[in-house]
Amino acid sequence: MKREKSLILGVTTVAVTLLLAACGNSGSKETAKTDTASFATSDVIATMDSALNTDVIGAQALTDTMEGLYRYEGKDIKPAIATKIVKPTNNGLTYTFPLRKNAKWSNGQPVTAADFVNAWRRVVDPKVGSQYAYIYEGIKNAADITTGKQPVDSLGVIAKDQHTLEVTLEKPIPYFSQLMTSSTFFPQYTDAVQKAGKRYGTNSKTLVFNGPYKLENWNGPDSSWQEVKNTKYWNAKAVKVKTLKYQVVKDPSTALNLFQSNKLDRTSISGDTAKQMKNDTHYSTLQKSATFYMQVNQEKNPIFKNPKIRQAISMTINRKELVAQVLGDGSSPISALTPKNMSFNPTTKQDFVSDLDPVGKQNATYKPKEAAKLWKEGLAETGQTGKTFNYTLLGDDTDAAKKQAEYLQNTLEKNLSGLKVTLANVPFKTRLTRSTNGDFDMVVSAWNADFPDPITFLDLFVTGGDNNNGHWSNAEYDAQIKASKVDNANDPNARWQNLVKAQDIMNTESGVIPLYQSGVAYLTNPSLKGLDYGPSGNYNNVSLYLKK
Amino acid sequence: MSKYLLKRIFYLVLTLFIVASVTFFMMKLMPGTPYTNQEKMSADQLRIMNEQYGLNKPLIQQYFIYLGGLLHGDFGTSFQFNNQPVLSLILTRLGPSLQIGAQAMIIGSLLGILLGAVAAIRKNTWVDGVATFFSIVGISIPNFVLAVLLQFFLAFKLQLFPIALWDGWSSSILPTLALAVAPLANTARFMRTEMVDVLNSDYIELAKAKGNSKWQTVAKHALRNSMIPVVTIIGPMAVNLMTGSLVVENIFSIPGIGEQFVKSIMTNDYPTIMGLTIFYSFLLTVIILVVDILYGVIDPRIRLSDSQGAH
Repeated sequence: MKREKSLILGVTTVAVTLLLAACGNSGSKETAKTDTASFATSDVIATMDSALNTDVIGAQALTDTMEGLYRYEGKDIKPAIATKIVKPTNNGLTYTFPLRKNAKWSNGQPVTAADFVNAWRRVVDPKVGSQYAYIYEGIKNAADITTGKQPVDSLGVIAKDQHTLEVTLEKPIPYFSQLMTSSTFFPQYTDAVQKAGKRYGTNSKTLVFNGPYKLENWNGPDSSWQEVKNTKYWNAKAVKVKTLKYQVVKDPSTALNLFQSNKLDRTSISGDTAKQMKNDTHYSTLQKSATFYMQVNQEKNPIFKNPKIRQAISMTINRKELVAQVLGDGSSPISALTPKNMSFNPTTKQDFVSDLDPVGKQNATYKPKEAAKLWKEGLAETGQTGKTFNYTLLGDDTDAAKKQAEYLQNTLEKNLSGLKVTLANVPFKTRLTRSTNGDFDMVVSAWNADFPDPITFLDLFVTGGDNNNGHWSNAEYDAQIKASKVDNANDPNARWQNLVKAQDIMNTESGVIPLYQSGVAYLTNPSLKGLDYGPSGNYNNVSLYLKK
Repeated sequence: MSKYLLKRIFYLVLTLFIVASVTFFMMKLMPGTPYTNQEKMSADQLRIMNEQYGLNKPLIQQYFIYLGGLLHGDFGTSFQFNNQPVLSLILTRLGPSLQIGAQAMIIGSLLGILLGAVAAIRKNTWVDGVATFFSIVGISIPNFVLAVLLQFFLAFKLQLFPIALWDGWSSSILPTLALAVAPLANTARFMRTEMVDVLNSDYIELAKAKGNSKWQTVAKHALRNSMIPVVTIIGPMAVNLMTGSLVVENIFSIPGIGEQFVKSIMTNDYPTIMGLTIFYSFLLTVIILVVDILYGVIDPRIRLSDSQGAH
């Protein structure tokens, strides 16, 4: 009996010791910090090589730690390493950038024009394998270099002297200034790239920085990282927060717990957690330059060639209900493919979406009765009256995408007689492959702006476009897009009108059916101020500060 | 014994080779490319990228190139993490997973053995009842539910432990507890059943008759023999912990390897899929080998030698 007791005692002792050891380790509560801002982020940094990065996490870390010719401040483009916003010469084909002489790398060396030239050449070099090389198209020889037809050093960018960079274009690029804020156009410290070779950007030891912050002790797959103020940054006096801490948190309720325990100053939340916190004082939402839309496969199903059929589909969708009830993550309804708050009229500064014809936008409002009528008329016009249709709606297999597909299925079947919708929610890569191969009847797709200009969305749907999976085709639309690129490339106002018209045509025709603009719900510590989310989808953390 | 070991190691390598080959060809059947920006690249650009990474070569040639690399210890570089060697990716991410997995395994099986043994010795008393109740609860509650509950009550409300994040040993306690409960309950159940049988067997009667006290008998004879079925389930349990901790890792924001595995499959990151599959298979086969050897150590009736032709 005695032994038995000691056995039970032993078990209890082990358990208690474990518990006590734990308490001793963590009991102390963190004191409030005024010089560190902590952010939750959704994923790791895939690479810090600005030539290779493709995602927003990497782009944010690069925007924090590196700097290109320009930087977004609010909605305005401001000179950064360049000393001024350059107006092109030679019919919009030549840009000569004077560089800041006081701009330095974190090792004290000056930022030179050669650092830009070498970095840019890497992007187009087929051996480097940048997945963003296409964004250089229009710069002299860029397209030929990426396809291996021209040597890398023939790229239209040269260092006129140590502090003068000259860029030559093949054709005017109306959104060239926007591109100059993008991390794909950042300089790289030449010696660091040569020293690290292929390993450049895989850990912080391979990097030298010229931006407001420096990344420290970061190893490729790390799930947390820290950026400290770069005292060598030319504008270091404007940088107020000493340390930025980033931590990957994937579970929304964990994010909420961490936020409420003051371990995070800002975190995104999603799903039920977002819905639950909707009325919290720390809650806010942010619109991204990304939209979700539906394409119908006109090649496979000729009835989709009829505009009334497409309009009918568009009008059965109650977008307000979709974002509020189904998504609840801060997304907002849209009436056009091009997102709001991204691009602005060159003269009036009006939002692109406000410049659009209201009549076309009507097609993306919920009108079930009119939808049923148009559906009937469309079927009559195509000689399909009374027939039944069984269509597959293709989409991603995330939780949100599945719920949204069920919603669409329900509303389409309810409002359009004879239509039966089968759902196919598949992994992202499978969705892409099936979209490209035309293996779908309807598909929900999404697009994220590469740079803040409507063309990044509108260019997708010209006849024969790689991402025009539904094969919608309109000659007038194609003509407007072409005019914006060729005839009016140097005339911002005329070009703007081309883009507005093109979007109007797409809206009236319901060529692509807009669904919603992707949004993110956030919880933010009220003492975190100066958050500056720019049109390019990154925060300019130079302006960030903590109210004491 | 050494002959037996050699034979087993040969089979281990053969198994890994077959796993690697089958995975390689199945993986290439998945649609899409490994490029994150695939959607935005033109057909021309995709072709150039494929040439760059040798993905335009015939499949069989790619296979031999990969095997050639493996023989030199080269697992290739990741696509998700541009130019990051797969090996360094695995090594960076493995530590936390292995640590919480091993801690959960040790705590779970040790406490499980004790709990099961006590329950068997005090069969049909309240001690047994309580132990059985906990075993059933432990098996029934999924570890991620437990993780959320532990996080909310012990970390968020009582602030005894860190809520999440990987920062020192204290951050490993809650995930360890969440993961340990299932192996604990399982071990306890097996241990109790077997121990009850063993305690009723003739040689225990003999041991008692020889004048050993009840506790001497248990410690010397019963415990060891009861552990054979427990050892059998330790292998599968270890594998479960290795692969099944993904959700718990996510809840506690632990930079583990499980998530990388899932992500590599979702993104067609071929070298990472291969590296991790081979790695997991290696761990699994080694664990099975260790378990087989442990049998012999625990139970002298099972001896590993060629003459018996066992295993």
